[in-house]
Amino acid sequence: MKLIKKQIPLAIVFITGVLTLVSYYVPHKMSVNYIETINKWENIVVAFAFLLGLVSLFFSHYNKISRKVDGWGYSIFVFIGFLAMVVPALVSQGKQMTDTGFTALGWSYKFIYTSLSGTMFAVLAFYIVSTAYRSFRIRSLQAFVLFIAAFILILGKVPLGQIIWDWVLGWTGRGVNDVIEWIMQVPAVAGKRGIMIGISIGAIVTSLKIIFGIEKQYMGKD
Amino acid sequence: MPENTIKCILSMVMTKNKLFLFAVLVIFTSGSVCAAAKKAGPAAVLPGFTAEDMPYDAGEAVLLRWPVNPAAAAGTAYEIYVSSLEAGGWVKVTEFDAAAKTGADIGLPFWAWNGTKDEHAVKVELNNLFGNFPPGAVFTCKAAVLEKGALKAESLPATIAPQGNWFRLDRLNNLIALLGLITVFFWAVSHAKRKGLFIRRIAGLDAIDEAIGRATEMGKPIFYVPGIGSMSSISTIASAFILGEVSKKVAQYDSHIKVPHYDPVVMTVCKEVVKQSYLEAGRPDSYRDDINHFVSADQFSYAASVDGMISREKPAACFYMGHFMAESLLLAEVGATSGAIQIAGTDVEHQLPFFFTACDYTLIGEELYAAGAYLSKEPMLLSALKVQDLGKLVVMVSVFFGMILVSLGAKFGWDGLVRVVMDLFKGY
Repeated sequence: MKLIKKQIPLAIVFITGVLTLVSYYVPHKMSVNYIETINKWENIVVAFAFLLGLVSLFFSHYNKISRKVDGWGYSIFVFIGFLAMVVPALVSQGKQMTDTGFTALGWSYKFIYTSLSGTMFAVLAFYIVSTAYRSFRIRSLQAFVLFIAAFILILGKVPLGQIIWDWVLGWTGRGVNDVIEWIMQVPAVAGKRGIMIGISIGAIVTSLKIIFGIEKQYMGKD
Repeated sequence: MPENTIKCILSMVMTKNKLFLFAVLVIFTSGSVCAAAKKAGPAAVLPGFTAEDMPYDAGEAVLLRWPVNPAAAAGTAYEIYVSSLEAGGWVKVTEFDAAAKTGADIGLPFWAWNGTKDEHAVKVELNNLFGNFPPGAVFTCKAAVLEKGALKAESLPATIAPQGNWFRLDRLNNLIALLGLITVFFWAVSHAKRKGLFIRRIAGLDAIDEAIGRATEMGKPIFYVPGIGSMSSISTIASAFILGEVSKKVAQYDSHIKVPHYDPVVMTVCKEVVKQSYLEAGRPDSYRDDINHFVSADQFSYAASVDGMISREKPAACFYMGHFMAESLLLAEVGATSGAIQIAGTDVEHQLPFFFTACDYTLIGEELYAAGAYLSKEPMLLSALKVQDLGKLVVMVSVFFGMILVSLGAKFGWDGLVRVVMDLFKGY
């Protein structure tokens, strides 16, 4: 049992990991074909797993409706939403447009799905405002630096801010756009690169832990 | 050439009497044609033109080289042609100025390439011209020299069959760095087994206990959001490790956790992880299959659904660990509004500011990767944190000395030194 549950999966992870790692240094066509094949396999696994996801979704919401838990009414919309997209897709045979215009699927996609997605994305603007308000409360030196940088950026992006800058600090010879460019190109990029270097090293070490079987929590412990 | 033309036409006159009148006309006009031909002269041969297999590639490109002509007149240009045995005919690849595309322009490091400014070097991607071709396919290449648009010289055709290579010598620096890292990695693992390691504290991870304890006291659920990454994303893998430790504590405290998923594969893996954690905590009876549930594989549908759940259920704690994009703020802001204690971690650096402002604790990139090891407190896993820190130290020292050397090189015109330093730290 241990062979099937532990050793064989670990061997598969090791061999696949090493081959994938080696393929980075081997430019040969065989190496390219190997990576393409692995990617195809991944897509096939994802396609099958999607069915599992769908079953989980329906099962979870069916249980909520049958048990009449709090907010069970929302679960009905999962099934309504599913049918609102799948039935038109079947009727339209997967086509969104014909010579005469939108099919039922195209109409559902444009006027239901896209509209709802757009609405969610638009909500982001309001959340950014409320988050900005929270972050502008100066509670530490770091928060003060963040506030100053953000304030200059906001100031520089509106014409009134540029006029104010020129009026107050025009004598320095530096426009607000120069300061914004410096903030974005120097401290922001330096910080971002520092984070990215840490992330890259962390990613390599995590990969090594998985390839060499030191980290195996993803398959359960002994 | 003119004599040959006349002889040829005369012989035609002798054999084809019916064409006599036409032949006379040709003789008269050939005089002017021959004079023009004499004026232009035949195209010279471009010397030193060679075609060779492009090194360190999959066998889909060739490299054409020939010496730079320092005496080339202004307006001189080169045209490159390639022909395949199968397709036939010449295909024009590129045209460029006589001063362009030298050996120094090929983007390879000094240890893998000896090209100089004294020669032209042109890489021709054959698969872009002829699509996928079988191994061993033969191609013929030639270069033409144009002066103000007129053909001045042409190379002899060079034949080449590109071959796939087995090693990217240009990535040698990368390989050496990786081998160094692996050596340090195994040293740290064996060291951790023998002695144990001191690990710096990470506030965001220390707060996990506090968050779970709060949820237990309040009798409210905990939301664990693993983001929208696939299982091949390192941050999602790290998130699964953290979920294992969090759910173990949840099981110990007999609290309640919910894990909404964006990716069905991640959901399947997380189900196993959570089940195992409940088993290890000695509470397999508390495990329910709907702890992990699939929500949607669409970004904003997922965000809307999770936002709805958070708004309705008012969780005591929210964890956002993994790969996040625009939905990061949509989720974190709703969580903050609901009054939950929030701990986030992602390796997407442009989403970090949103988490910083909306969450109580944020794990930055590498801390997310380290979190599973930190929480498990297993020496073997903790050793990886030491490797990360050592790696960062090496990068810091390299950046410091690299910066000094490149600055000195630029100041005193030591181009060789600058190139060596830049090549050593460049990714190919």
